[in-house]
Amino acid sequence: MRYLRLVAIFWSASTAARMEYRAAFAVALLAAFVETGGKLFGVYLFYSSGYDLGGWRWQEALLVLGFAQLLDAFFLLIFQPNLRRISEMVQDGTLDFVLLKPVDSQFWVSVQKLDPIGLPYLLLGLAVLAYGGSASGITGAGWVWLAAAGTGAVLLAYALAFLLATTSIWFVKIFNVVFFLSSMIWSAQYPVQAYTRPFRLFMTFVLPVYFMTTAPAELALGRGDGAAPLAVFLVAAGLFGLSRAFWRFALRYYTSASS
Amino acid sequence: MLLAKARTLLAVYFAYMLEYRAEIVFWILGGLSPFFFMAAWSEAARLGHTAYSALEYARYFFAVFVARQLAIVWANWTFSDWVRTGRLSFYLLQPLDPMWRLLADHVGERGVRLPMLAAIGAVFAALFPGALVWPGWGPFLLGLAASTLAFLLSFFVAYSVGLLAFWFEDATEIFELWYVLVLFFSGMLAPLTLYPEAVQRVLAWTPFPHLVYLPAALWSGFEPAGAWGFAVLLAWTAVFFVVSRVLWRLGRSRYSAMGA
Repeated sequence: MRYLRLVAIFWSASTAARMEYRAAFAVALLAAFVETGGKLFGVYLFYSSGYDLGGWRWQEALLVLGFAQLLDAFFLLIFQPNLRRISEMVQDGTLDFVLLKPVDSQFWVSVQKLDPIGLPYLLLGLAVLAYGGSASGITGAGWVWLAAAGTGAVLLAYALAFLLATTSIWFVKIFNVVFFLSSMIWSAQYPVQAYTRPFRLFMTFVLPVYFMTTAPAELALGRGDGAAPLAVFLVAAGLFGLSRAFWRFALRYYTSASS
Repeated sequence: MLLAKARTLLAVYFAYMLEYRAEIVFWILGGLSPFFFMAAWSEAARLGHTAYSALEYARYFFAVFVARQLAIVWANWTFSDWVRTGRLSFYLLQPLDPMWRLLADHVGERGVRLPMLAAIGAVFAALFPGALVWPGWGPFLLGLAASTLAFLLSFFVAYSVGLLAFWFEDATEIFELWYVLVLFFSGMLAPLTLYPEAVQRVLAWTPFPHLVYLPAALWSGFEPAGAWGFAVLLAWTAVFFVVSRVLWRLGRSRYSAMGA
């Protein structure tokens, strides 16, 4: 409860700060529409040349795209602004102040900022999901699966981003890692079945891209072979636990600015 | 005199960029997305759905990757940062247009990036035998000319956006819009020839397809050199060069630095 109240305070403060730059927000809104349009165009290019992305109807492929857009939105909204701050705080030693607070430090560094520029992406992503879902005839249970799997995918993406950002305790300047991750999500906008076999394996077992978008879509549609897509929850929980352990481990090596 | 200046600037920024090797590695890794598009189109080709073969796609998307890497710019960030923090004041004291400093920053970074690109090229050639084919001196040099022009155009666009910092607190979002347009209309999603005819016709007038598709198509042998692409690219480069000069003239007089 206390944590929820903190989140509300953090986010209203950062939204207010961001709203000082209203022109920038207007441009970002336009960019969000262009980007969503462009991604849909990308899917269209495949279907117009007769390729069904490895056995997906186009409405179903839109679900995968929607999940990718959702993750992208969370990157812009929360992950990117906060995780970039970690390496900044390590650089100038202000991480000390966070560690002294009577709040879970991982919680603090993960949610303190919110960049409303991600909001249009979030809404457009949800719109793509809603359209793709209803066009492929998802039923009541399917929508529940969609919501649950989407939550799992967001958690997974967060854990992955946080794991990489934590390395900045050692390598100080490494915030391009976040850029790297968000561009990996680019590869997640098509179902993994669309790729050649080595890439498919790589995207399932090395980069867990399969679990971020393809698996949630399979769960919502009730397709996929057996229990494989269900592993999204397992992978998400595992990575989340790992990110907590790794953060605590890394803090032991944090020597602040003056010591 | 001029040459000595240029040499010093380039040496300084090359050394400066060497410090950020790790950053550049991740930056390059972040630019690997063309290879994913390659994998998807190759699979489409394997199943017999498109006009090109898997090998042709591999060749094309590797060229796309290189073309994009050579045209990466960040002048918008750097310059608006100079204005916001007042660092520009120091540069104004020197008898050197800050534009050259920025340009040297970018060119020097290419010096660090090139060896890394060569390493990625070697890995790629090992993973996809037969995909890397020497295009011949003519197309190679023409492609290099195209990608140099593409770099200059991107640079002047980014620099112009950066210059807007004289008027707006946070103008760099505008560059985001440019970036998104490049992403979708430069031929990174697929070879431009697969785009619908009408889209292709409109795009031919914009700078976007010539930024990536033109050099990539030359290197991968998709298309003989078209004078049209070079003309459009040159025209847009000239436009944005002039825009950046005008913005610089106008903006300079508005600049009041920090606390001044």
